[in-house]
Amino acid sequence: MTQRVNPKVEPERVIELEEVVLEGMDISGHWNRMFEQRVIWDYDVDAMDRIIDLDGGESFGWCYQCAQCVAVCPVDHVGSYGPRKLVRWVQTGMDLFTSPELWLCTTCANCLRVCPKEVNLMEVMPAVRKEAVMAGHVPAELQDVFEKTARYGNPLGKNPKRRHAWTKGLEVEVPLISDLGRKVEVLWWVSDYPAYHPRGIDASRALARVLHRLGVDFAILGPEERHDGDSMLRAGEEGLFEMLAEHNIEVLNRYEFDVLLTTDPHAYNAFLHEYPKRGGTYNVVHYSRFLADRIDELGLTEEISQKITFHDPCYLGRHNGEYDAPRELISALPGAELVEMWRIRENGYCCGGGGGGMWLDGHAADHQRMRLSEKRVLEAVETGADTLCVVCPYEVSRFEDAVKSTNNDGRLQVLDIAELLAQAMGLPTD
Amino acid sequence: MGSDRLLVIGAGPAGLEAARLAASLGSQVLVVEKRDVAGGMPIHENYAALTHGFRDAGEAMAELIGAVTSHPNVELRTSTEVTAVEGSVGEFTVTLSSGTGDDTVEAGAIILATGFQHFDPGRETQQYGYYEFPDVITLADAEAMLKAHNFVRPSNGEVPERVAFIQCVGSRDRQIGNEFCSKVCCGISSKQAIEVRQQVPDARVFIFYIDMRMYGYWENEIYWPAQEQYRVNYVKGIVTEILSKNGRLLVRGEDTTMGRPMEVPMDIVVLAVGMEPSLGTRKMAEMLGVATNKYGYIETPHGELDTVATSVPGVFAVGAATGPADLDDSISSAGAAAAKAVALLRGAEVTV
Repeated sequence: MTQRVNPKVEPERVIELEEVVLEGMDISGHWNRMFEQRVIWDYDVDAMDRIIDLDGGESFGWCYQCAQCVAVCPVDHVGSYGPRKLVRWVQTGMDLFTSPELWLCTTCANCLRVCPKEVNLMEVMPAVRKEAVMAGHVPAELQDVFEKTARYGNPLGKNPKRRHAWTKGLEVEVPLISDLGRKVEVLWWVSDYPAYHPRGIDASRALARVLHRLGVDFAILGPEERHDGDSMLRAGEEGLFEMLAEHNIEVLNRYEFDVLLTTDPHAYNAFLHEYPKRGGTYNVVHYSRFLADRIDELGLTEEISQKITFHDPCYLGRHNGEYDAPRELISALPGAELVEMWRIRENGYCCGGGGGGMWLDGHAADHQRMRLSEKRVLEAVETGADTLCVVCPYEVSRFEDAVKSTNNDGRLQVLDIAELLAQAMGLPTD
Repeated sequence: MGSDRLLVIGAGPAGLEAARLAASLGSQVLVVEKRDVAGGMPIHENYAALTHGFRDAGEAMAELIGAVTSHPNVELRTSTEVTAVEGSVGEFTVTLSSGTGDDTVEAGAIILATGFQHFDPGRETQQYGYYEFPDVITLADAEAMLKAHNFVRPSNGEVPERVAFIQCVGSRDRQIGNEFCSKVCCGISSKQAIEVRQQVPDARVFIFYIDMRMYGYWENEIYWPAQEQYRVNYVKGIVTEILSKNGRLLVRGEDTTMGRPMEVPMDIVVLAVGMEPSLGTRKMAEMLGVATNKYGYIETPHGELDTVATSVPGVFAVGAATGPADLDDSISSAGAAAAKAVALLRGAEVTV
């Protein structure tokens, strides 16, 4: 649609519509070529006021343009976007509420980590997106997921009655807590992708076998479980989040359990920070921590002669401070070598799936040179690792796609830590 | 030693504070002020609120003046100029001229508190059209309007919708000859921006800067509230020129964080003019033979650990007579000079 007409002209500032007919006159192609305005004629301060007047939007006005955020914003590495730039664009009049830029932030929280003024995009983005959602300014692919989630209780639009179908044919039992009619030690919050996505199911079945081998008294909710809603909240669908949280809390409060075990760091985050505000307080543990605390009981005997690199999920690491558990587990795998990427732990690079990004890949592709997941996979390949280990169910599919799209098929496999553990424990595979 | 009297030249904040302290330490103090009222720039230039604590300038200065004039050890002579100085430390003979004639007094030590003057933005260059456009004003002009609670466009008396501050006018400039940073203008502009927003809530305020120099607590006490609470817009990039267009002022420059040219209409432009040594500072320096630097400020040649002694024994300099200084600096240096002068008058050894 646009073309480079002169090396001195920035191509993104050239506007040229492929086909235009104006009052019967065909002015397609270069006949309608225009250049974006260079001079700033005015500063529309209303654009910023509308954001800082929102609950949660206040800190957007605190930025003093130090620009530390830009170096750690994962989106900036693949496009022209960056938190301080976003602030400045808004200060000069950009309407964030209707802008495509609104949907690029993955709420990975790396900008907040380095921000001296504590500009908190994890609060700003949901606040602005909430208004955009109410006004109907939502990318279609995300709107579709909102609707599926509202209707089916999961963003994949799968049959809610078959949420526990992944347990079929397993040689170990994965009981529904409603069938047990008693208190369990561990209630496993499986989440959507581990219940429905083929690769998520692989990890779930591995984790079921691991828990069984550990002798853990556990059960799942099955059809009673719905999407935790955390990512919907970050994506601005607060109403949907409230609906899901209300349902989930009502269900959870029906049962007795000591530990709420989550596979998904986003669910973990919701149970830690959002559900308690709404009457749902649980002893929530991420499965990486649960298993790391039981390393000696796992019986890791089989050699895993692989170089393994590990990707920190934003909502487990930066958001909730757990960096060690997955690394403890990887380091305990017999014969395995943990090789780290260059951006890890507090500075871990985002996979692109947070804050609604999971369902905005099309939108992101229009505004970024490459997917964040592709960037991350290239970093993983750079380490010489055979395996990219993940502990977030958003990631297996994202990274496997990225392995293919970056032509690294056969060079790097993506495995959930549960799959690696099951292998090292000599457990059956499907 | 001839005289145990301390002569303070200049009754601004620094001179008054030096006099108050020296008097309370038991010395006889004579304060000479060329203007007809004491109080210095805060009074003479109609300051509204003091930077950085936002205290009412008139009230604060009245308190200081009251403390000095009510002290039995102090004599304050306004409308009086020093026209000649002879002698040396311990026995200066000073000629004072006033409307009623000349007078000669003896003094053992002298504190120069002759201060600064604001840079005149029309003096060197008409870059910003200060002499040409009535709505282009200086910090001092704005201060007076804010004090009168009448912040309007001088050209037509209308309430402004857009107000711009331009930083570093007459400071940090090799061509003008003032290479130094005037130290207080970033804070004062931000303070005034807050006052504009308080008095004219519908007006939006922009501050164009090279780098905001909000040292120490000015950062969190002025800069952050201006930005966060009062929504003052800070734009990195100094305005190059001001033109008149459709009855408004068009400020032209570069929005450097956007990397784009900028031509934005404003109703009032406030030039954040810096400091220069006052005429009194230059004259007294010459009369007393104290060394000055290339900018005309009185030198304190003894390094960081003696900020008030000049090149002439028995003569001290305080406040903005020695270089750009805020009120805190001026009051602190006044205290140091008062203590050293009193010690000198009593014959104590003060090593520097």
